[in-house]
Amino acid sequence: MSADMSPVVTTFDALRGQLLDAAEAFSGGGDTLSGILAGMVDDVDRMLREELEIFPVCHHSPASALAMTRRLRTKRPKVVYLELCEDLRPLLDELRNCRLPVALQAFATQLDGFPPGSGPLSVVAPVTEASAEYQAIAYALDTPGVELVLVDRSVDHVFQWLPGEPDGTASSGVEGVDGEEAALHGDAVGVEIGDLRPRFAELEAHLLHHGKVRHWSEWWDQYVEQPLTGADYDTYRQAMALIGSLFRRLRPTEDDRLAIDEERERYMWTRIREHLTASGADPADCLYVCGAFHAVSRVAEFGLAADAPPYAISPRTGTRWLYGLIPSSHSAIEAQFGLAQGSVSIAAATWAKAGRRGGVTPYRLEGQQGGRTRTKTVKTVKGSEPPATAGPAGDRLSGFLAAPPVLDGLDEDELRGWCVDIVRLARRGGYLASTADAIAVFETSILLAGLRGRARPTPYDFADAAVTCIEKDVVPGRRDVRRLCEILLGGDRIGAVGYDALPPLARDVYDRLEPLGLDLSRRTQQRVLLDLKANPELEPCSDVLWKLRYLLPDGAVRPIMGVRRLGERPIQESWDLAIGRHQRSIIELGYEGVTVEQVLEQRLRRTVWEPQATAGVALTAVADAILYLGGRRFADEFGNRAVELLATERTVDDAPEVLRRIRRLLAHYRATEPELPAWCEAFVTVGYAHYCTLLPTAFADDDTGVRQVGAMLGFLFTLESLALSLGCDRAQLELAVRQSHPEAPAKVALLWAAKTQLGLLPRDELRARCDELLSNPLVVPAFPLYLSGFVQALEPVPALAPFVVEALSKAFARLPDPVLLPWLPTLIMTLRKHVPELVPVLVREAGRTFPGGLAELDAWTPPWERPAVPIRQGRQTGEAGAAPGRSGPAAALLARHPQACDAVAALLGCPAEWPAAEVPEPGQVEVRELLARHPTTTGAIAALLDR
Amino acid sequence: MTNEMTNEMLRAPAEVKYAAELDWLESIDDGPKPFSWRLSPRMVRLFVLGSERSDGLDREIPQKWFGDRGFVERSIVTLASDRGLLLIGDPGTGKSWLAELLAAAICRNSTLVVQGTAGTTEDHIKYSWNVSTVIAKGQSRESMIPSPIMTAMEQGVIGRFEELTRSTSDVQDALISILSEKYVSIPELDTDNTVFARPGFSIIATANSRDRGVNDLSSALKRRFNFVRIPVVTSKTSEAEIVRFRTAELLRRHRIELDVPPTLLDILLQSFADLRAAAASATSEDEKLESALSTAEQIGVLEDAILHSHFFGDRTLRAETLGGSLVGSLARRAPEDLAILNKYWHGVVEPRSQKDGGEWTSFLEGGRQTISTLS
Ligand SMILES: Nc1ncnc2c1ncn2[C@@H]1O[C@H](COP(=O)(O)OP(=O)(O)O)[C@@H](O)[C@H]1O
Ligand SMILES: [Mg+2]
Repeated sequence: MSADMSPVVTTFDALRGQLLDAAEAFSGGGDTLSGILAGMVDDVDRMLREELEIFPVCHHSPASALAMTRRLRTKRPKVVYLELCEDLRPLLDELRNCRLPVALQAFATQLDGFPPGSGPLSVVAPVTEASAEYQAIAYALDTPGVELVLVDRSVDHVFQWLPGEPDGTASSGVEGVDGEEAALHGDAVGVEIGDLRPRFAELEAHLLHHGKVRHWSEWWDQYVEQPLTGADYDTYRQAMALIGSLFRRLRPTEDDRLAIDEERERYMWTRIREHLTASGADPADCLYVCGAFHAVSRVAEFGLAADAPPYAISPRTGTRWLYGLIPSSHSAIEAQFGLAQGSVSIAAATWAKAGRRGGVTPYRLEGQQGGRTRTKTVKTVKGSEPPATAGPAGDRLSGFLAAPPVLDGLDEDELRGWCVDIVRLARRGGYLASTADAIAVFETSILLAGLRGRARPTPYDFADAAVTCIEKDVVPGRRDVRRLCEILLGGDRIGAVGYDALPPLARDVYDRLEPLGLDLSRRTQQRVLLDLKANPELEPCSDVLWKLRYLLPDGAVRPIMGVRRLGERPIQESWDLAIGRHQRSIIELGYEGVTVEQVLEQRLRRTVWEPQATAGVALTAVADAILYLGGRRFADEFGNRAVELLATERTVDDAPEVLRRIRRLLAHYRATEPELPAWCEAFVTVGYAHYCTLLPTAFADDDTGVRQVGAMLGFLFTLESLALSLGCDRAQLELAVRQSHPEAPAKVALLWAAKTQLGLLPRDELRARCDELLSNPLVVPAFPLYLSGFVQALEPVPALAPFVVEALSKAFARLPDPVLLPWLPTLIMTLRKHVPELVPVLVREAGRTFPGGLAELDAWTPPWERPAVPIRQGRQTGEAGAAPGRSGPAAALLARHPQACDAVAALLGCPAEWPAAEVPEPGQVEVRELLARHPTTTGAIAALLDR
Repeated sequence: MTNEMTNEMLRAPAEVKYAAELDWLESIDDGPKPFSWRLSPRMVRLFVLGSERSDGLDREIPQKWFGDRGFVERSIVTLASDRGLLLIGDPGTGKSWLAELLAAAICRNSTLVVQGTAGTTEDHIKYSWNVSTVIAKGQSRESMIPSPIMTAMEQGVIGRFEELTRSTSDVQDALISILSEKYVSIPELDTDNTVFARPGFSIIATANSRDRGVNDLSSALKRRFNFVRIPVVTSKTSEAEIVRFRTAELLRRHRIELDVPPTLLDILLQSFADLRAAAASATSEDEKLESALSTAEQIGVLEDAILHSHFFGDRTLRAETLGGSLVGSLARRAPEDLAILNKYWHGVVEPRSQKDGGEWTSFLEGGRQTISTLS
């Protein structure tokens, strides 16, 4: 058996040993084993015999890329078929505008034909420079007359065919990856060309164990990559096909990925055949680039000569797919496809080195940004390209056999350079490393390579050696030695999508932020200061930033100073911007619309039309629309929706929020518009009726909180004058209050407060009721609850504050210690829990009531115990000191011109009543003096009137 | 002869125990050997980690130390360089065992050991004098007693230093000069007063990362050692292998014929895994068992249970006994450890026994009894 295999594999003793071993271990030996081995030979033969030249690739394999470059240079195919989703084709032309790695992305939010709730769907296909597919793409796009045809199923099919658990050929975004570079792909499903890995964990573990390596990337590097790097084309193809074949044959029987793979293979061959027929291309001028796994496919459609019945390609769903490029990074690719940390970087470094060595000039898209720029200087060393002999099969490898491949390990100079560099990096990282360590790392690398049977140390050996010699018991800085090695060996490379390849929205954002004079492609955080007073032209930038802040994830744009609130105009703002780092988010916004405004509008609209939207949500959207979109159109639309939502709401859970928001909006409109928008008026009238209707239920219902009822009353009382002016009927409110019969003490108190406000319950009777409560030992324990109700009532009935202070003081004064002391903690807890925001109001009122010092306390009588008459008498007789500020020239001035005070009082919801004080004759000197002493106000008014 | 010796020693050093294997490996070893090593680095690795079929050997070499092969490789190449090797990790992770295996494989002598304690003095790592000989013959090389480290220097073999961090800084300083100058001078003598290290001399030290800081190593000493950190084994399969491997040995040593049922091994591994997870999420020392929950401790628990069943029981290992041994070995600090175990028993073992039944029920019972006896 192995005699048959020998032409193919004896060149790769180690690889052959590994593969045969694995075949034996997992076939169970005997007939099955020989079946597998024979099958493998068949597979390879079949691929070699195929009329259409098949180029098997593996992802992140510099050897693959190198073989590809050489093959393209010798064969110069006219058509390249590539295993990549066919609908991604237009994106490839944009690659040259980007700094690789980037990922091709397809994105869909409007699903049609997929289960609802499964969106948004996102597929990414990362492209690195050190890959065979990039070589093929660059060759095909930049060589006139060459056609690049993507033949794999569309992204729509990716999801159609996705098995229940999305870990088939596509691997979905890895959770829990650390570092934001690694999370660049978000939770997209990844697709890659040339996915070549054992299909079950045991096989991989077997290969790692027997290959004496730590992870898959190292296995690949040692057993495939290095031997293949110098190999000729035929050897390359055979070895790759052999691996593909083994993995295909050794797979778990229940592997449902194979079904998808075979479906894809049918798809690809069908597309190829269609293209050949349509274009009339000569198959001899074509090259089919696919993963090694697919190169040895057994589907009936395989091969141009296949006589399988035509394969019907299933239609796409109605889902609308959007396409774009997003930045990627080596670590994101490693995380997405489960590769060892640093392996993609090492592949990139190996590739760069191969390029420097000469021997082959890699293809590069014209105008490709970043990366190496020295391609021109790399000269082709004549004769160093292994010839692709076209002899008969048995002969193919003879030249290669005679001269074993030169392993592409490190050369000594390079290793020495790394050793010096790692010590330098380590020192910068806080390690006490010295030249002695550099020497030790060098020596240890060589020893390790020897122990591991490698002619020269690989980057993996070097990293191990550096860790051994430099890492001690603690990591002194942020990065440990292994991480430093990764950085040294090329580090994570993060791609960026160039301006021209950005979607219109992103380009628009970049344009509009241009005046800031920042380099937005920088990945670091940048601080900008906008002095909007000095540079009003920067206001549009500020607008964009606020919109972005609304739309982008946290951290992309962050205001350090400045707020955007209704009724405020910013003077100065400062921002921390990390736009470069969040390029993907901006690009993905681009899938939602052409401008940020459009996206914002859609998002707001979506929130207010969602089934679970509430009036509060809609009012929030109104405020957001005013803040971010300006104009009345959206605000009015969302406002009308708010009216609609409020009218149909069955619960009042939202009442506090509604009250807060509508008050703010009313204040905003009163300050900025000549009259209230129609929806505001509608909202107030609808709200008045609505809350009136619900009031009795809310009072009675145990599930409705005091806060909610308080807010309802707040709405009814504080917006009452507006509501009445719009035609509401106060009788409705009175009736609602009369119909309310709460049982919970807090709500009872609230109801009493409401009745007092409506004049249904005189203040004296309220006082009497409270006194009664306090004198009834059975009720006393519940008194704090009554109090918390009263405190809640401060919102709708602010005038109640003195009374609440009174009630509290009485409680302290009258309750006997045995009742009072255990009661105090309950009181405090109740207040803290139920009405934290109103406690300050209470404290302020108490401050006004009680004397400021201990001395005065002795002579002090609480206001509610003072006889009511003397105060009034005092005022009437003009007694100074009793009520300072209520008489005198300023008071007289106000009394003579009461309009301003009345207006303020109306706004605050206070009754505007004036004490019947004497009105002194005009022209008092004191007033003049006052104005002369404080001329600013008068000046300002004059200036306003001038305008 | 070796067999006899093995039988007579309570615990034979690795080079004795595996003498035949080492002889055989030496006979087939054609790889290059550094210094005076008895085996090439690859053979050392083979000896420690065991052979694969793909190694194509006529004889199977069993695996003796279980863990990431990278650790072993890094340790071996360190010894082939001119730095000492410091194995650092939690107690019971097999550091001393690995050191012994390496010394046995490299120079067939793993017994040149200094134990680091607070009482270790410079004499223990350099030399001391045989007082009666000094009185009779005066100070000479004859009346000098070399330390194990000095012997290792003279012979060009590996010296071992256990628990390096426990020794005082004087001792550590003396070690610096040995490792850097590679000789020890004997000022008391006029002639022949320097002992030079022969090629092949190196030191394998071990340090317990739990008591790091007691005598934190000086940076000068750190620089002369390569550190290889040995983590606690967390993969259940390799842990099971270690436990099985060591208990088999123990049974052989005590000539005990007793089966360790796989279900019990599972219970042991599972409960350790649970307790480790609990320790990892604990927020204070009081919520953590004092024990590091290492593999060695697992072996200890099983050993205890086996010996108990053998000598006091009916020569069958039962889940009750295992439960009792587990509680007995891990409850070191009353009341904290007991409280943690009690919580574990109630919160995890009890529900599991209700769900899975079987041996868990007896395990539950055994542990419960011991908890109540101890508290
Ligand atoms: N990884 C391992 N491989 C083999 N045996 C181990 C391993 N870890 C622990 N042991 C066993 O545990 C016992 C105690 O280990 P030891 O070497 O004394 O630990 P340490 O020195 O790290 O405290 C050893 O005798 C060995 O049997
Ligand atoms: Mg030890």
